[in-house]
Amino acid sequence: MKNNEFYSNPGKSNPSGSNPQCGRLAALILVLIVLCAHCARPESDRGQVVAYVSEDQVFSEPILREFETETGIKVNAVFDTEETKSTGVLNRLVAEKNNPQADVFWANEPIRAEILKQQGISTPYVSLSAAGIPDIFKDPQGHWTGFSARTRVLVVHQKVEIPPDSIQAFTDPHWRGQGVIANPLFGTTTTALAALFTSWGGERAKAFLQELKQNEVRLSSSNGESADLVAAGEFAFSLVDSDDAVSRMRRGSPIRMVLPDQSEDQIGCLVLPNAVVLIKGGPNPENGKRLIDYLLSKETERRLALSDAAQIPLHAGVEPPPEMPPIENIKTMQVDYAEVAGRMQEIMPFLKEWVGY
Amino acid sequence: MTVRLAVLWIAVVILAVAGLVPLLTMFLQSVVVDGQFNLSFYAQIVTSSRQWSLLGNSLILASLTTLGTTLVGLPLGILLGKSDLPLRRTFIFLFTIPLLIPPYVTAVSWFDVLGRNGLLSKSYPSLAATTSSWLFGLPGCVLVLSSTFLPVVMILTITFLKTVNPHLEEAARLSSNWFGVLKGVTVPLARSGIFLASLLVFLLSLGEFGVPMFLRYNVFPVEAFTQFSAFFDYGAAAAAAVPLALITCLVLLLEANFLREKTYQLRPASGAALQIRLGRLRNVVFLTVSLFCIVLVLLPLSALLVQSASQAAYTEAIWRAGDSLLRSLLYAAMGASLLVLLGFATGYLIHSRALGICRSVDTLTVVLFAMPSTVIGIGLISLWNQPSTTFIYATPAIILLGYIAQYTALSSRITVSTLSQIPVSMEEAAEISGAGWLRQVALIIAPLAKRGLAGAWLVCYIFCLRDTGITMMVYPPGRDTLPVRIFSLMANGPPDLIAALCIILILCTLLPLSLLAVVIRLKRQES
Repeated sequence: MKNNEFYSNPGKSNPSGSNPQCGRLAALILVLIVLCAHCARPESDRGQVVAYVSEDQVFSEPILREFETETGIKVNAVFDTEETKSTGVLNRLVAEKNNPQADVFWANEPIRAEILKQQGISTPYVSLSAAGIPDIFKDPQGHWTGFSARTRVLVVHQKVEIPPDSIQAFTDPHWRGQGVIANPLFGTTTTALAALFTSWGGERAKAFLQELKQNEVRLSSSNGESADLVAAGEFAFSLVDSDDAVSRMRRGSPIRMVLPDQSEDQIGCLVLPNAVVLIKGGPNPENGKRLIDYLLSKETERRLALSDAAQIPLHAGVEPPPEMPPIENIKTMQVDYAEVAGRMQEIMPFLKEWVGY
Repeated sequence: MTVRLAVLWIAVVILAVAGLVPLLTMFLQSVVVDGQFNLSFYAQIVTSSRQWSLLGNSLILASLTTLGTTLVGLPLGILLGKSDLPLRRTFIFLFTIPLLIPPYVTAVSWFDVLGRNGLLSKSYPSLAATTSSWLFGLPGCVLVLSSTFLPVVMILTITFLKTVNPHLEEAARLSSNWFGVLKGVTVPLARSGIFLASLLVFLLSLGEFGVPMFLRYNVFPVEAFTQFSAFFDYGAAAAAAVPLALITCLVLLLEANFLREKTYQLRPASGAALQIRLGRLRNVVFLTVSLFCIVLVLLPLSALLVQSASQAAYTEAIWRAGDSLLRSLLYAAMGASLLVLLGFATGYLIHSRALGICRSVDTLTVVLFAMPSTVIGIGLISLWNQPSTTFIYATPAIILLGYIAQYTALSSRITVSTLSQIPVSMEEAAEISGAGWLRQVALIIAPLAKRGLAGAWLVCYIFCLRDTGITMMVYPPGRDTLPVRIFSLMANGPPDLIAALCIILILCTLLPLSLLAVVIRLKRQES
């Protein structure tokens, strides 16, 4: 019956002529327009900095929050997911080259930072905070600066009595079907392979990869998953980043960590510092520089060393995490990061084919 | 041009800008390389065995999920919609929970049950490796997606059973038991709804990428995401999406030919619906359904609760994701409101056939709904990532555009169904008496359709809140949502923190629903 009343005289219910339904609808649309306008309003350039971050969010976010607290500058960040680690935001930066949205790129290794330099996306900035960091971990032109390093380590299940001590174990028939590595198209595994291509040369590195296949080395989606698979006893060992190993060890997983290739005649382990980059044409360059200064400080290195990231400080005098030796006690693989970056782009088609893409 | 046509055209243009243009942009990038027409991306797909294998995986996953949900959802829908089983509403609510939350959250919760360190491993350590390897692969994906989409079949079965004329069932009951009636009368009469549910499940499973990605099962949507996120290869990503788009169009063609008119006319049948009396079987059936509910819904949720059971985890979760949570709620509310407005216009257009392109608009909304979210996300980025459109690209407006592109079909179709229950004569009478179209909408159509529109808002709100695919690809710096934050925190994030975040997300989804249920109950008691 109510409907019929509407039908017979729509305006009767409100003699004044104003229609409450119309009013409500108009109010709703107005509120939506205001909210949309608010959403479509870019934040003020002052008091903010835009950071693209490929370091794990769980480790990097507390550092960025601390920066916000200390400086009052809000950090708007984009983080990589595990699956596209260190390639997702890098490629977003490349896609935004002509329309930069980021001020700072916090890379979890220097190779992607070097790629940004080679593509003209970064701009030099030499921070005073980087004074104590060895030159080997800095770009000579100041496009990127390294800090808080990880190493590539072997993570081995505790049930293995004599653990492997070299990456050559992946091709050793003794370990057939017992090794796992992350997909080499992503993350630091790509970097590690590019470093091998640089150190060994293409032929030997390609042969090594073919032997990996023959020795039934399995691929996982990420270093974290590789460490989990070893912790679960599904594989005997894997090559992962030190933070992947330490975080699981601290959770009580039955694994141990081995620094590979430490003998005199071996190549050493690859050290991967974080790298921070100032983006050319970013919207907040001054705040970007302040964030870079903060990230390169001893205090940030100390915090990253104490956290589950367990990263090795590059400043002298900052305590390393308990599970890791000081950087000077590690036999490191001697590589030129710029050369590795160039090599990485060259070998991508081969790696895609190797993986089966 | 009348006001009505102007409004409808505006809606069509908004839909085209949000959904169609990004898709066309992507398609163009897949056929133009360095300014030249080039089909090399497609040649790679056709000649690559990997691509065929991925396509096979996608089809197998979608088919098995559809089969599983239909085989279980149909009898479950009949039991919950037509029998005297106790606690039917409670069961409907519980079985619907997995649909309301992001599918990968369900995957995480199953991981907490069947994973290497999951609940099961505590009691049966030797089984954990087997269940874990089983979870990470096709069986796990089918399990998670089936539990997610089971409510689609269940709810549509319940809904369409109500449209069956009870007099026909009464007549059939004279010569047959209930099994015969269901087989010979009820199910055949509701088959369009059941078929529609199966198609929906097939399309949703085909486009799903979060679960296969988490459970390491390679399918086409994951490929599109990888091509884009890892290599930023727009052309390859677009080309990787085309086979899925073609399959989607084929399925929609099927739907258009066999179902469309039938599924729009959702009028409850006149007369009281007949109820199946389970008699002696009541207790057995009740126990079976309870057990099934416990295993499929309550067990994984309990695993999440157990995993997150510490105050520290929740404190850290709020500290880490409180802002993302608020943004999620805001964006979902705004997205739902915009979707209801736009869906009302497109739904009205489709219902009234006011424009010649009404069929195309309907097809577009459904194609966009079925399209993998990664594809829409990539299309939006390639279109809006320009200096002149930073006010869209660098703000949450791009997320809202994504919601409009992907979810307009929901509000549009609910509107069509709602409008089909309002007599056209009411609108005509108002027109004859001189009311303008906006006035008709505000005073007659909207009030009469308010229940349907409220339902549409709620459905859209839930889908926007649980959205991961689009938001993950396009969110501006510092403006991520809770599902996205959970996804990125999964990289080395402590399991208890991830579980706590998932529980918070589930609560945020269920809270408005529970409030609504309370309000409805109070109103009923009042009346």
